[in-house]
Amino acid sequence: MDFELSDDIKEAVVRAKEFANKYFTEEVAEKSDFNEEFPTDIVAISKKEKVLDFSNPWKVLVTIEELVRRDPGLGISVTISAFGAEIFMFFGNDAQKEKYMNPVFAGKRTLGLGVTEAGGGSDVAGIKCEARLDGDSYVLNGGKMFISNGQIADHFLVLARTSPPPSPEKKHKGLSVFVVDSKSPGFAINKLHGKLGVRATNTAELIFDNVRVPKEDMVGEEGKGFYYIMTFFNISRIYVAAQGLGIAHGALDRLIEYSKKYAPVSETGELNENLQLAIAEIATRVEATRNITYKAASYLFKFTPNPIVTSMAKFYAAETAVFATKRAIELMSLHGLTSDLERFFRDAKILDIWEGTTEVEKLIITRMMLKEGGA
Amino acid sequence: MEEEYEILENTVKDFNAKYVENNSLKFENESMGKEFVKLLADQGFFSMMGQSGEEVADVKTLSVVLENLAKSVPAVAVKTLLANSFLSLVKDPEVTEAVANGSKSGTVTFSDLLVGPGQNGSLLLSDGKIKGEKQFVVGSDSDFIVTLLDTGELVLLKSGFTAGKKLKRLGFRSIGFSAVSVNSSDYEVLSKEGRKELEKLYYQLSIPVAAISLGMSEAVSQKGLDYAKVRTAFGHYLKDFQPLAFELTSLIAEMEILKRYFEVLISTSPSRKEAMFLKHKALALAKDISKTSLQIHGGYGYLEDFGIEKFYRDSMALSVLFHNEEHEMEVLSTLVFETKAGFV
Repeated sequence: MDFELSDDIKEAVVRAKEFANKYFTEEVAEKSDFNEEFPTDIVAISKKEKVLDFSNPWKVLVTIEELVRRDPGLGISVTISAFGAEIFMFFGNDAQKEKYMNPVFAGKRTLGLGVTEAGGGSDVAGIKCEARLDGDSYVLNGGKMFISNGQIADHFLVLARTSPPPSPEKKHKGLSVFVVDSKSPGFAINKLHGKLGVRATNTAELIFDNVRVPKEDMVGEEGKGFYYIMTFFNISRIYVAAQGLGIAHGALDRLIEYSKKYAPVSETGELNENLQLAIAEIATRVEATRNITYKAASYLFKFTPNPIVTSMAKFYAAETAVFATKRAIELMSLHGLTSDLERFFRDAKILDIWEGTTEVEKLIITRMMLKEGGA
Repeated sequence: MEEEYEILENTVKDFNAKYVENNSLKFENESMGKEFVKLLADQGFFSMMGQSGEEVADVKTLSVVLENLAKSVPAVAVKTLLANSFLSLVKDPEVTEAVANGSKSGTVTFSDLLVGPGQNGSLLLSDGKIKGEKQFVVGSDSDFIVTLLDTGELVLLKSGFTAGKKLKRLGFRSIGFSAVSVNSSDYEVLSKEGRKELEKLYYQLSIPVAAISLGMSEAVSQKGLDYAKVRTAFGHYLKDFQPLAFELTSLIAEMEILKRYFEVLISTSPSRKEAMFLKHKALALAKDISKTSLQIHGGYGYLEDFGIEKFYRDSMALSVLFHNEEHEMEVLSTLVFETKAGFV
């Protein structure tokens, strides 16, 4: 067991840090947040400079962590251009990989994933979006909600029902995944405004009104979409855990900086113990989050994903991000409230919700442990 | 609750329904506008506290008003709290009349008590002029400011100050929040022992601040209850799921206990310790219950249209703008231990 990162991963960390220092200025971060404006220019530069090295998933992981540690909204915006691409990697055919996946990994295209629906939330199998076969194409009707990259993606991977469930208990059957071109007739996008946090990211509602999708743009086999999406979530949740790790670490950075600069000292000349213990607790949680996230990643990157550890990492990272930002503001008082930490606090909460709520992650952990006998 | 408070509660509820609820996003994020401020003033909401020079300030009616205003738009409650704080310190009849009737606004720089020495800027009196800068001023867009000089006097600035660039604002976005640059010969010294006077008011506000927290908790928990009864997932209403139902129920139990304690305190003469107990717990509850309610709403809770996320932001902002955890716990520990405690 080796807890040290290899030299090339360390280099990726340094590169991400340098990129964030150069481009994630407070002025840009604040403007993107205030105006709910996707940082198009920075994302373009990041693609040009190949900040995300998709040839090595560890590099992707640590890059997300470092960029988000500097600014969550900008960091997530820069690192989700390929959101959903692993579905092509594992289940797409060669033509789809060539046409859709490779341009995304090359930074030439942007991808989005349409799973969540207005009435569905965590209940993925309960989606209502339908795809009906008509000649050589499927016709999609329905809508998707809270879709990242909604207005900027060139293509979306969309989960839709292609056949009725065999029984109410087997709603997860009969779902399929399609590639939808954002320029398709009948396809409409409504940007969602007024988010609490991650306001630099682009989030939208998608509407499908008789959108035709060629048969060859179905990914994998008909009826196996639920399985594909769940497989993807077992990947993406690890990257969400990295987001949580970055936010929590960012909060810790700011609390330590405050402690050196402004914090009151006791009569013994040291920092007040209340603050010392709080720093220790946040630092310990950050370290625990890192260990569990990297453990989940090590299983995944060796192609032996462990959904129990993945869900543990995702929920624990989300809770740590929320906890760390809250405690840091409370302790930093007006210095926290008037710094970028307030943005971290708003940004953190989404991690408890997207890619499976914290409650859903906990249920996955227990149900799989009961079934399989342990992590 | 006493009958007079019930009448007052209904008055504020009617006011909210008539003037606040349809404008909640505007009042929260943009501006309340002079017309609405005048309406608040016309209800008598700005002058409910009396003068802080009185031994026991009348925070009871004010607290009932704030609790209920906070249920719709917490920023309106904070605006009302600032006006009352200001009027409790100022005696100049022209100024007090203008603030009480809503034609002018006033604020008090509590930040003087919330951050360490030298961290809140510096104001000095020299050659008949007050000069310098004050940081972290809530209500920096006001017409009058009560603030502390470095030399300890509490002064009323009537003119000669300008608000700087707006600071980041987690909550109460319609209320000015920035540093203020001062170059004023138009002032009045209110007290030579300014810090003592300001601290006295600050602790008198423990129950009103707790009242705002409780109002927020009531409103946001009700939204959680309502949503959990109608939203379904996996073939059940959200209310049917144990983790959600148990957590919200537990927080509501805490809230009901605090509300009863609040009612007891406003019908007696509470000690500083009791008032601080309530504030300490009510601020924490508002944050916890807002977080849970947001989580119940899922992605929708994250959007401002659903009126949840503002409670998540405002509850945290309230606990920083009118509270300093370490400082108040030191004071409270000393009251609990009845000797100096919690300072190492």
